[in-house]
Amino acid sequence: MWLPFLGLILGLAFGILTDIQIPSMYENYLSIAVLAALDTLFGGIRAYLQQVYDDKVFISGFFFNIALAAGLAFLGVHIGVDLYLAAIFAFGVRLFQNIAVIRRIMIQKWDERRIKKSEKTVE
Amino acid sequence: MSKEKYIKPPSRKSITILIVCIVTGFIIGYSYNLSKDKQKITSPYLDQAESYREELIHQQERNKELTEELNEIQTKIRDYEKSFATDEKEFENLLLEAEKLRLMLGEIPAMGPGIRITLNDSEYDPNNSNPNDYIVHESHIFKVINELKISGAEAIAINGQRLKTNSYISCTGPVITIDGKQYPAPFVIEAVGNPEVLNSSLQIVGGVFDQLLNDQIVVTIEQSGHIVMPSVNDNQS
Repeated sequence: MWLPFLGLILGLAFGILTDIQIPSMYENYLSIAVLAALDTLFGGIRAYLQQVYDDKVFISGFFFNIALAAGLAFLGVHIGVDLYLAAIFAFGVRLFQNIAVIRRIMIQKWDERRIKKSEKTVE
Repeated sequence: MSKEKYIKPPSRKSITILIVCIVTGFIIGYSYNLSKDKQKITSPYLDQAESYREELIHQQERNKELTEELNEIQTKIRDYEKSFATDEKEFENLLLEAEKLRLMLGEIPAMGPGIRITLNDSEYDPNNSNPNDYIVHESHIFKVINELKISGAEAIAINGQRLKTNSYISCTGPVITIDGKQYPAPFVIEAVGNPEVLNSSLQIVGGVFDQLLNDQIVVTIEQSGHIVMPSVNDNQS
């Protein structure tokens, strides 16, 4: 369970320590990539909690979503329409949905545990 | 779900999750880094605003200085104008001088106290066969004119013909030609100037008057309080 967090921290450290400058015109892509990554991450957590987690779906979803979002932003930049907003919107909505589902599952589990506890105490 | 399940075997599944987490972490960290840089970028903008403000203040101070300088210069100009008023008097003097010069050039009619010299041929002397000995030659007139000019005559006219600076006088037989006009004797030379000075300079011992008398010329010198002579342009026709 701690391995993903370890990886996250490692990645954060790497990201902060790298000193590569990218042109400001590509910052949109980066924001979308962040959103896509978060979305996929939370989607994976949700899938895991719902016990429908699939390795291939997770990995492919992660990279494909990022690529799609970047491609959309690229297209948007080149045709002069802010298409990256669509990606941000989609990912944002999904992010919130995923987090909501996770929260609900957590609450459910917590409730179950409390009920169990109370049952124990009752007994 | 349990700890042991993840930690024990570094299965393919966990490795992929690790990779994904690293990538996500990397992206997030990188964008965080970037936004930090952007803040660094925006902070120069703030600095710029600050510097602009300072510049504005500086410019305002400069404006103030310049305004003071302007006031100073304006007072200076006023001083100049005041001194110009005195200069105007000098200008009037210059005007008078110019008038005097014009008078000398003969561009304006001259009038004032002066002297009138009349040169006339002497009476016909039958004993003297040479008439050249007793008529007035242009050389006599030259002598008189030169003397008058030397002694400060402001304007000279011969028989009412005003002399210019470049006038010519030539002898043409019994008459003389002044600027293309012929005049017979007697020749009345009028000069505007100080009559006393002109008179005494002409009548100096051994001077022009004596020389003329020697040449058998009837000379009359007459001081006049008011001599009027035309300008050069008037007798051009």
